[in-house]
Amino acid sequence: MIPFILKRLGSGVVVLLAVSILTFSLLYVSSGSIARNILGDQATPEQLAVKEAELGLDQPIITRYFSWLTSALGGDLGASWFTSEPVANALATRIPVTMTMVVVAMIFISIIATLIGVAAAVKRGWVDRVVQIGAIIGDSIPGFVIGIILVTILAIQMGLFPATSTISPGVGADAWVLSLTLPVIALLINGVTGGAQQIRSAFIKQLERDYVRTLRSRGIGEREVLFKHVLRSAAPAGLTVLSLQLIGMLGGVVILESIFALPGMGPMAVTATIQSDQPVVMGVVMYTVAVVIVVNLIVDMLNGWLNPKVRVS
Amino acid sequence: MKLGPKAAAAALIVSSAMALTACGGGAPAGAGATAKTASLTLGAVQELRSWDPAQAHVGHYLQPYQAAYDSLLLRQPDGKLSPMLATEWKYNDTNTKLTLDLRTDVTFSDGAKFDAEAAKANLDHFKKANGPQMAQLTAVADVAVVDADTIELNLSAPDPSLEFYLSQAAGLMGSPKALGTEAIKTEPVGSGPYVMDKAATVKDSQSVFTAREGYWNKDLQKFEKVTFKILTDLTARTNALVSGQVDATLLDPKTGKQAEGAKMTLTANQVDWQGLLLMDRDGAKNTPLGNVKVRQAINYAFDRKTILDQVLLGQGTPTSQPFGKESGAWVEELENKYPYDPAKAKALLKEAGYETGVTLEVPSVPGFETQIAVVKQQLADIGITLNVGSAITNTFTSDVAAQKFTTMYFSLFQGEPWVAINQIVSTKALYNAFKNTTPDLQAKIDAVQTGGADAAKLAREVNKYVVDEAWFAPLFRVNQMYYHNSKITVTPQVQQAVPSIYNYAPAK
Repeated sequence: MIPFILKRLGSGVVVLLAVSILTFSLLYVSSGSIARNILGDQATPEQLAVKEAELGLDQPIITRYFSWLTSALGGDLGASWFTSEPVANALATRIPVTMTMVVVAMIFISIIATLIGVAAAVKRGWVDRVVQIGAIIGDSIPGFVIGIILVTILAIQMGLFPATSTISPGVGADAWVLSLTLPVIALLINGVTGGAQQIRSAFIKQLERDYVRTLRSRGIGEREVLFKHVLRSAAPAGLTVLSLQLIGMLGGVVILESIFALPGMGPMAVTATIQSDQPVVMGVVMYTVAVVIVVNLIVDMLNGWLNPKVRVS
Repeated sequence: MKLGPKAAAAALIVSSAMALTACGGGAPAGAGATAKTASLTLGAVQELRSWDPAQAHVGHYLQPYQAAYDSLLLRQPDGKLSPMLATEWKYNDTNTKLTLDLRTDVTFSDGAKFDAEAAKANLDHFKKANGPQMAQLTAVADVAVVDADTIELNLSAPDPSLEFYLSQAAGLMGSPKALGTEAIKTEPVGSGPYVMDKAATVKDSQSVFTAREGYWNKDLQKFEKVTFKILTDLTARTNALVSGQVDATLLDPKTGKQAEGAKMTLTANQVDWQGLLLMDRDGAKNTPLGNVKVRQAINYAFDRKTILDQVLLGQGTPTSQPFGKESGAWVEELENKYPYDPAKAKALLKEAGYETGVTLEVPSVPGFETQIAVVKQQLADIGITLNVGSAITNTFTSDVAAQKFTTMYFSLFQGEPWVAINQIVSTKALYNAFKNTTPDLQAKIDAVQTGGADAAKLAREVNKYVVDEAWFAPLFRVNQMYYHNSKITVTPQVQQAVPSIYNYAPAK
């Protein structure tokens, strides 16, 4: 297992490097008027030149990239060009908000989607049809629309939750819970419907296999057949779907965080991208890519644990 | 914000349980049960870049700075200037030296004393800090300390807006001990009515201030606590206001309907104008635009009232002039200078020799897609083709300066006359990208610059000139839809979408 993990980590580093080069180049293309954007309409050419020198924009791109890379490897991600806030600080305050949302949503999606998917695959009939229709509806309504509906009903009309975030220092866990519940539900609905559908298909495929018939013919209990043997065989497909959902969720979270005014990664990423705030964009991109790499690694490890053949191949 | 692992784990578990049962319970946090402490929570449109006063901005971006910093002059809601840290100020005869008498009883929140040296340190810092409003002190050649409570601003050329600027970003006074430090970027150190509660403040989420003890002017300090909740998203602002999480915020005509349904009070105020900027007035890149008749024809093409009613639910006033109503340069007769008259527009195009058609190109401006579509259709009715190009990007300002756009649809601030001239008319103005001018116009501009107290009146001539010459095709002045609840009262501030911090008070 250890060589396998090392191999995957190694390729992860290569991916990170490649993405950093690509992102840096793309930002370079649009960075022509950074100084003007920072200094405003009335800046004189001299003032612009001073600012450009201050930010190192007068250097060739290779120099700029390597200076960014060396600092980043030393743990220094720089500071925002626009707000002077150190990128590491910015990430440290925002990651907990976003990741709490995503992780809580993922836990629920895994449990609920599995239960629904298995139920649909085993019972078939009307349960299956309801799940199928639900999946189509759930998939076709964007998370932010669900979010707005939830806010209107549960927050504004019924007053059960705050309409926008109340997360702030020292407010305690209840504020977190209340603030995150609605956006998490909005994330959940999309995830569960899509996930259940995939788990159902994987499960049905397994149920049609010979080994299931053999197990049943030996008189092994139905519950053991389903949750010990079939689920284990169907799990890799399910895990893959869930990992894709988690990665996709990092995108969906952006809009939800804006609507709920949650101080997470999303709004920062959007603002930084619009402004071409290079240090912040690089920080956000590197972090996101790292999450994707780690998620994939975990999924691969779980798959390897469930199915030893994967480790060898 | 720091969230310890224990709290995170607790949050995770509890929120899991909550979400599963979809049962919130309890009162919504933030729905103020503690109204008696006179706290004010404002839904802010944008986070500040930096709390360094030299990085302050104009208009409603000024508001949060006012919590922490006093300015040299105070701008009243109607635009008149009154004393603040400066008690008296006076120009010399040539308007090239401004002498200010300063208060002597004011200290900064770090204990430093406010005096002439402190004021000079601030003005010097502002000049060299390269902030977004550094142009405000361009005319100031140097600042001289006369005595402990007097300074002189020596100007390289008269600047009719200077006193106004001293009530804005350039007039904000920070502690001389803190200026230029890293710390002041995240925690303001001023002499203002409130001090930041650093522990409760989270970047991009909220800035919290508490009343400063012993503040020298109790009339300007009406709350125990002021919170700026950062809500960049319009939906979030609407939800926060309607559900009582914020006391006041800026909406738009559509979301305003929702706020009115929830019994919120509107404080409308006209700050910007919208319309076409016909920038290539010499026809350098688009020959027909060099012809005044073509530009006038464009002005006659629009049914301003109908566009306003349909696009902005009538929230604004149709106009043909780019100068604002409170600016002093506004001229009543120009309001309807170019009424909707497609026949006249066609006749003008024919006279100009362009009856076969004219083609204009505008960039697509996010947020104005509907307006641009209507403008395109009404121009088509008189035989002008409007091609809408790609969306403006973060290189927009540079693109304007580089004369990439001969025409564009935009919304612009209607400031003081000299500010507006330097924004859209003079050869220094960014939005006069082709640097068009004539000796006649330049003489009128010069008259404003040296006009002293008559500057605003003299600016009417500039206004008349650009309207006669159809430099722009303004459509309307737009109402800023500022809403507040019944816990507070709000007085609008001229030329600001969001009122100054002094304009709020607890409701009686």
